[in-house]
Amino acid sequence: MGSNSMSEQVCASVEPTVLLVDDNPQNLKVLYETLKDKGYRLLIANDGAKALTLAQRDRPEVILLDIMMPELDGYQVCERLKADPATADSAVVFLSALDDVEAKVKGFSLGGADYISKPFQAAEVIARVKTHARVIRLERQLQQRNRQLESDQSRILNAISEGIYGLDADGNIIFANPAAERIAGSSAEALVGRNFFQLHFNQDCDCDDSQDAEDTPVKATCNLGLPEHRRDITMFRADGTGFPAEYRSSPKLEGDELLGAVVVFRDITVELEQESELEAARELVQEQREQLAHASRLSTIGEMAAGFAHEVNQPLTAISNYARVANRLMGADSLDQELLGETLGKIEAQSLRASEVIRRIRQFVKKPAAGKEVVSVETLLDDTRQFAEVDARNNEGGVEITIADDVPNVLVDPVQVQQVALNLIRNALEATRAAGSTAPVRVLAERSGDRCVRVEVIDRGVGLPADAEEKLFLPFFTTKPDGMGIGLPMCQSLIQAQGGEIGFQRPEQGGTCFYFTLPLAEVTQPVA
Amino acid sequence: MSDTQQTVYLVEDDEAVRDSLELLLKSEGRTVASFESANAFLKDYSEAMAGCIVLDIRMPGMDGLELQKKLNELHSILPIIFVTGHGDVPMAVDAMKEGAVDFIQKPYREEALLEKIEAALKQDLEQRKTLGEKQEILRRVNTLTPRESEIMERMIAGQANKVIAIELEISQRTVEIHRSRVMHKMGTHSLAHLVRMVLSVKDRIDAR
Repeated sequence: MGSNSMSEQVCASVEPTVLLVDDNPQNLKVLYETLKDKGYRLLIANDGAKALTLAQRDRPEVILLDIMMPELDGYQVCERLKADPATADSAVVFLSALDDVEAKVKGFSLGGADYISKPFQAAEVIARVKTHARVIRLERQLQQRNRQLESDQSRILNAISEGIYGLDADGNIIFANPAAERIAGSSAEALVGRNFFQLHFNQDCDCDDSQDAEDTPVKATCNLGLPEHRRDITMFRADGTGFPAEYRSSPKLEGDELLGAVVVFRDITVELEQESELEAARELVQEQREQLAHASRLSTIGEMAAGFAHEVNQPLTAISNYARVANRLMGADSLDQELLGETLGKIEAQSLRASEVIRRIRQFVKKPAAGKEVVSVETLLDDTRQFAEVDARNNEGGVEITIADDVPNVLVDPVQVQQVALNLIRNALEATRAAGSTAPVRVLAERSGDRCVRVEVIDRGVGLPADAEEKLFLPFFTTKPDGMGIGLPMCQSLIQAQGGEIGFQRPEQGGTCFYFTLPLAEVTQPVA
Repeated sequence: MSDTQQTVYLVEDDEAVRDSLELLLKSEGRTVASFESANAFLKDYSEAMAGCIVLDIRMPGMDGLELQKKLNELHSILPIIFVTGHGDVPMAVDAMKEGAVDFIQKPYREEALLEKIEAALKQDLEQRKTLGEKQEILRRVNTLTPRESEIMERMIAGQANKVIAIELEISQRTVEIHRSRVMHKMGTHSLAHLVRMVLSVKDRIDAR
């Protein structure tokens, strides 16, 4: 292919070849003299057979062909030239003294390009040769370009890993590339002519009226000219076995006329396997994150055990005191019914108080997390504060929550967010204590943009070390003497799982500000 | 100085616990005064208080241990029963070192608490009685003239009248007169009793 296009290239660059055919040497001489030095390569033949040989060998652009010749006459030569693909594209210009319409018509009907009458006018010969040489040369260049394009196209179609079908309007396969052969399990010869819907979807092609004709892949493209893209549909191979496939189909149009469709398709068995592996890996990560979060919550509860024991023991102590009082009232000489009722009421209230503490603990250590819900930020933070105050009892300042008026509900996993908020508040209380400060830990919630709520936990504690930016969210980095360095990376992973962000700032007045954002339950347009 | 004048002072931040305990103690016939914080109690504190303190060790603001220290600085002799939670044993040990009478862990049996309160009130009564006696002795010591004090010290040190007379360059007779005045003012006839009395308040005398 390289050498072929090369020689044609060379041919295109050299001067056009003109073959002069006449049995009369005098005529040949005149023609030769006329065209000499006009930028042509000139060949001469004095009979038809010689002319055919030269034409095959040199592929002249223009052949000036005398009609009246012994043995093979000009018409016969022209016929043979046109019959041979190698010579068919040369422009045949008949030369004859015969100046009648019939001869001209016959010449044209045999594929002649033009006609020059004898005796020749030199200028006319030159002009006609020049025109035809140019036309043929351009035609040849065009053909060569077409051949090149075709071969490029077929190389691309061959190389592409997707199967490609050309379909006619009825869904009959009129083209199949090698990948289509491979995927369908059949040769292109066997595929071409078969009906796409029958072959690959076991569909009767004639059922245009049925409901599922609409649903058959590619049908809408063939029938209505609508492009389609579907994934994970089952296609059948030539041997009847099925495979999961993805395809795109585009209508083949010529003007407004729908000629059929081009279908690009592939077997996605391996892809689906990889996707399901990826999905499994994602689920594993998710599960592990939840397990870790759960373990971390258990560990938090463990750290707060003394505080919780206190929280439960308080109402239990009160209950037992009240019960004793009630007992005494029963044993008294005159029963004070009112006081007894009041005391029993207090017992009930205190047992509710105890069970509330236990409910909150159970809620917090519940596993797995319940999933995302629409939650009020105020409820969430207030619950967390009650939790944190189990620890905050020895902190004079306590926890102060401020919630802006326009804070909307958020869509989050409440347990996980509570875990993050609790972690940050406990850190803040610890930092405050370590600094010997009695300033309260402040928790602020406000709307941030039209997509999220921002929660800040601010302490007036010792502040963060200088290298906190790089390290704070790394696992096992801790600034606390007995810290594990699990808390903040866990918070980060949990907040990211909600679709939020977490970070910190160093307020000018000292201490630390941790913040996190939570996505709104409904994304609303900002008020104009 | 009878039982009825003794008060159980409750210092407890948890309203339910405070209320229920107050009710319980009142039903036992005790006089009860409740405080919701250590600061509130300190504000009302006076040396005249008699009885005992039932003190929650864990409270926001000033906790039980801090209140105990403050009271020690004020020379309070009110016995303290600490009420502790499950994890507060180390704190309770500190409290005991600082002189707390006892501690009780929540949740407790009422009998146990009532017994401890009983014991604390008894101890308070005794301490207060002893304190009363000591104050009487001091009052009497304060009535002695400088010469009489000097002679009493020598009597307690075991010096014979003759030795005292020679060392103070006074007559033995004079020593005898002072000696009988000391015995009279201190309200005793026995030298052994005198020695015991004076030694019991010796720290207070030295402090002057």
